[in-house]
Amino acid sequence: MRGLIIHADDLLRAGTPSARHSEVTPRFSLLLTLIVVFGAGYGAAMGSYGGDAGFGGARPLQMFYSALKVPLLLLATFGLSLPSYFVINSLLGLREDLGVAVRALLATQACLTVVLCALAPLTLTWYASYQAYEEATLFNALTFAVASVSGQVLLRRLYRPLIARDVRHRALLRLWLIIYAFVGIQMGWLLRPFIGIPGAPTRFLREDTWSNAYVFIANRIWEVLTR
Amino acid sequence: MPAWLWQLDRLLRGESTRLELLRRGSVDISLGGITVMGILLGSIAGICMGVFSLTGSGSQAPVQILASALKVPALFFLTLVVTFPSLYVFNALIGSRLGLISVLKLLIAAIGIMLTVLASLGPIVAFFALTTTSYAFMKLLNVAVFTVAGLLGAGFLLRTLQRLTLAIEETEARESAAPSPALTSTASSESPSSESPPSAPQPPAPPARARALVPMPAPGASVRSIFRIWVVVFALVGAQMAWILRPFIGDPEQPFQWFRPVTSNFFEAVWLAFYNLF
Repeated sequence: MRGLIIHADDLLRAGTPSARHSEVTPRFSLLLTLIVVFGAGYGAAMGSYGGDAGFGGARPLQMFYSALKVPLLLLATFGLSLPSYFVINSLLGLREDLGVAVRALLATQACLTVVLCALAPLTLTWYASYQAYEEATLFNALTFAVASVSGQVLLRRLYRPLIARDVRHRALLRLWLIIYAFVGIQMGWLLRPFIGIPGAPTRFLREDTWSNAYVFIANRIWEVLTR
Repeated sequence: MPAWLWQLDRLLRGESTRLELLRRGSVDISLGGITVMGILLGSIAGICMGVFSLTGSGSQAPVQILASALKVPALFFLTLVVTFPSLYVFNALIGSRLGLISVLKLLIAAIGIMLTVLASLGPIVAFFALTTTSYAFMKLLNVAVFTVAGLLGAGFLLRTLQRLTLAIEETEARESAAPSPALTSTASSESPSSESPPSAPQPPAPPARARALVPMPAPGASVRSIFRIWVVVFALVGAQMAWILRPFIGDPEQPFQWFRPVTSNFFEAVWLAFYNLF
């Protein structure tokens, strides 16, 4: 575990003057391990919500499911978005840099999970302080937003040499972010619940999981507009 | 098959459209190879679209998936069949130096790119198809995916066309500038003061010579305009062809049909899908 934390530290410092290694991004297997371990760590914390009963109401099964689902959310979204990224990368004539670019994208996921894990104590403190389910959901949305922005910091750093080499990498990066967010939102919707409504039976997926996040949002907006 | 895959990969990476290869006068691909790969990738994209029918009653889903796998490649190649003759005729009419095979190779390459992009977005389409019950959303998502594939394919086509025209014009300018052996020897034989030995009987003059003697305006800009118009026509015909060949996704509320009666039109259907989203 200590070795993994050192690797996580190396990852966060990648591309900065404080980096210990000249190699900018770690190897694929290490990045995957970081995503699984740190993602599972935050997932377990996320699933420990116990409602009014505090941590006494935490359900180990929900913690286990959420620990599985956070890495699954990131890796499945990554896997689904990769084929189109690969093709568009080739079309733009940037295939030579594909390996470096994919490692940078995967490193961003790893960075996101490391930041999430670092925010886990704050989430637990929030659960201990406020029991309302909606607030717990909003707080988790906030932690994911902070982790995503932090991931962007590393991504921009790792992508800087690529953009310096060919400016088309910038457009490709933007495209990747659009595709990734588009798929990721639906994947997150599909894999609910991550927190678990107190009193509801603990399940891996919700009974009504086969629906569409975008249609739901569009309907809510329409309801507000026509109220 | 690996050879065709390799060809497609070279096409994607832009290796088949390098300037030195384009100087030969066409895109360096095998028509058959890219066509077969296009059909295969189009079928994969079709399967991903047809997966939505699994969310309905499911009994007709395999037939719908099969139908979509056949219809997506058919959509592209039928649209090509409809639009290619007029493109080629106008291309020849304005004096383009692109021959029939060159134009066909260029279009097949662009369609190969479109189908590859479409297949690469297939996992995302299949993912949404499996996790969504909204038919209207799936229609709009597929319209968006086809638009992205179309734009990338059209971008490739116009870029390659520009390079190809440039390469051909460059080659011809070089041929005109450097006196050909035929021209040199003709000039020598016509000059009585020449000290060179009598030349052998002359071969027939090559076409390059004729062009060198009668300067013609370069038709590059007109060719690009024709191809730009063709891209728009291809998109419009493609949209209507898709409407004729529908259903691709399969309305879960309706029984399976290979083809539906042609009523309304594509653009009205897209607007209705957007309206039904709410």
